[in-house]
Amino acid sequence: MIRRMAKVRIMGPRKRLPQVLVALQRLALLHLAEPPLADAMNRGALGPVEEMRREQLLKRLSELEGTIGGLGLEATAAEEPMSGSVAPLAYLPRLHRLVELLGERSDELQRERRSIQHYRGLFEVFRDVLAVEPEWPNAAAFNVVLRAQDGDSLERLRGALVAEIGNQFVLRWRRLAGGEVAVLVLAPAALREQLDALLAAARFEEIELPARYAAESLAEALPAMMRRLESIDRQEADLAARRARLARRYGRKVVSARRAVHDELARLEAVSSSAQTSHAFVLEGFVDADAYPRFARQLRGRVGEEIVVEELAKENWRAEDAPVVLSNPRLFRPFELIVRMLPLPRYGSIDPTPFVAVFFPMFFGLILGDLGYGALLVGVALALHWRSAPGSVRRSVSEILGACAAFALIFGLLYGEFFGDLGTRWFHLRPLLFNREEAVLPFLGLALALGVVHILLGLGLGVITAFRKDRRLGLGKSVAALMVLLIILALLAVLDVLPRGLFVPSVVVLLISFPVLIAIEGLIAPVELLATLGNVLSYARVMALGTASVMLAVVANRMAGALGSVAVGVLFALLFHLVNFALGIFSPTIHALRLHYVEFFGKFYSPGGVKYQPFRGWTAEQNHNL
Amino acid sequence: MDILWISLSAALAVGVPAIATAWAQSRIGPATAAALAEKPELSATAVILVAIPETMVILGFVVAVLILLATGS
Repeated sequence: MIRRMAKVRIMGPRKRLPQVLVALQRLALLHLAEPPLADAMNRGALGPVEEMRREQLLKRLSELEGTIGGLGLEATAAEEPMSGSVAPLAYLPRLHRLVELLGERSDELQRERRSIQHYRGLFEVFRDVLAVEPEWPNAAAFNVVLRAQDGDSLERLRGALVAEIGNQFVLRWRRLAGGEVAVLVLAPAALREQLDALLAAARFEEIELPARYAAESLAEALPAMMRRLESIDRQEADLAARRARLARRYGRKVVSARRAVHDELARLEAVSSSAQTSHAFVLEGFVDADAYPRFARQLRGRVGEEIVVEELAKENWRAEDAPVVLSNPRLFRPFELIVRMLPLPRYGSIDPTPFVAVFFPMFFGLILGDLGYGALLVGVALALHWRSAPGSVRRSVSEILGACAAFALIFGLLYGEFFGDLGTRWFHLRPLLFNREEAVLPFLGLALALGVVHILLGLGLGVITAFRKDRRLGLGKSVAALMVLLIILALLAVLDVLPRGLFVPSVVVLLISFPVLIAIEGLIAPVELLATLGNVLSYARVMALGTASVMLAVVANRMAGALGSVAVGVLFALLFHLVNFALGIFSPTIHALRLHYVEFFGKFYSPGGVKYQPFRGWTAEQNHNL
Repeated sequence: MDILWISLSAALAVGVPAIATAWAQSRIGPATAAALAEKPELSATAVILVAIPETMVILGFVVAVLILLATGS
């Protein structure tokens, strides 16, 4: 159901507008609408002082966001109740700069740590061969990593060194975890340039020490790097402690200041939703019709009798402009999630949630229809329910799954299925309705019959929606719906489902209705009529998917005895059942959704509704949604 | 010999629409994935668009079943 809205007009002296906006923000009930611009009335605009204030607030907001992010306050600090105006924030620029500096220092330390850790693994490989270096006091050290796929590269390097400088070098190597070979070459310092050229020509890339240690030998650099790592840990702990102290001291202040800044900015923005003369202002908007008396009373109570609050007569506003709030009984509410996946229905049209709540789980159950899979689905729904917060999307999904599981159990009992034919084989379970393995045509008939009911319901709702818009349109939709009903009656009479005597009257009325339909709706109407009949055939998917589901379960059961080893067979059967269960959740969901969105909603649904967003104080969730 | 033709007819009734569905979904899938990357709120439209061609194979399956049942195979 779509909540009934009332359009409200608020008028008063212009100087009272800021006070009214504060009161409206606290009441959080009015969805602001476009201002009523008549003669001598202009859209509200900010003056130079307010414009300067806005710029200042935006700057403060940027500093506050930076400070809150830098101090990690998003998840921890509790927000204080909203205040009417932003308190002076003299401390903020200095605090923001300090937090920025702490952040920059922390980033530097992290970069340095990553750099040292990058080299540490490599140089630790050489820890035991570094003892060689002191024996060569004037040696130059070259560190090279050879790629894993270059199998003979070590021998090539050794050969190239011998050819270039004879035996005046020491070569040590170790294989690294990733398969690369780390190589340390020590040679007289006098030969450095010669060796640099050799390594470059042979395309052996030397790994250089971080710039800070470039002047040191490897033996000196490695312990220094390890000491530096420890020092970085201490410095980071010190920075974290300083941030924690700042968070304790300023946390609540900055978080509530952010809210106050957001709120004041919203009020400044809202000025443009008012119409103004030189002395007065007018604001218009929508409130829930049931909440209007309370809204008017509380607004007058907060601002005083200087302002006028009145409800506009329905004739003076367009339904298309009103915002939409879906409101359904507790049992149907989770299914609003399915409706919300499409653009909201327009105000004044029909909310399909109650119909979805009945037909969606029914189609799901018709397709899955198995006591075993249904019980598993109950488990999944309960697990999801247990791990979800009230009012969350996950909670709604768990409740929808619960309803689907209930219908899967009901139809499982009617079909006599427990993991396919396992129920029949183990517990002598008998179908109460029909056996889906054999009764393909009755199943098809059931699916199409439900399709007829669903489509006719959609056409009926379409007639109501059309009459609300325009009588001629409503009449056209009525004739079309009647013709679909007559065609179905005639077909059922031909198939002997209904008495044959119904055939002739149905056809006669059809022939009379046809020109009436074309006269009202034009030449496109017969095409739409055929498309509607095609929509009914689309419900055959319920039978097709249901039969496929039970057949897969039967195949899974037969695997247990068909693969030679019982253990292997049972394992494969379980695996196949698991796959079928996953398909059994996914496939009916997609196809039940499609039957609703395309076949059912197509008959009456009017998308394009505006979401009800009352003018209210800022919350942290709004920031996350941006 | 009849059983061969009946089986072949049923196989074609479901096989050809299956290929057509696969071809259509291979075009729709990437397009909807790209659209969803930019506008996640189109998820319901994406479901509809991907599921629409499946009607072909489902009706093909129904026709195949009817062929097999009508011929008593």
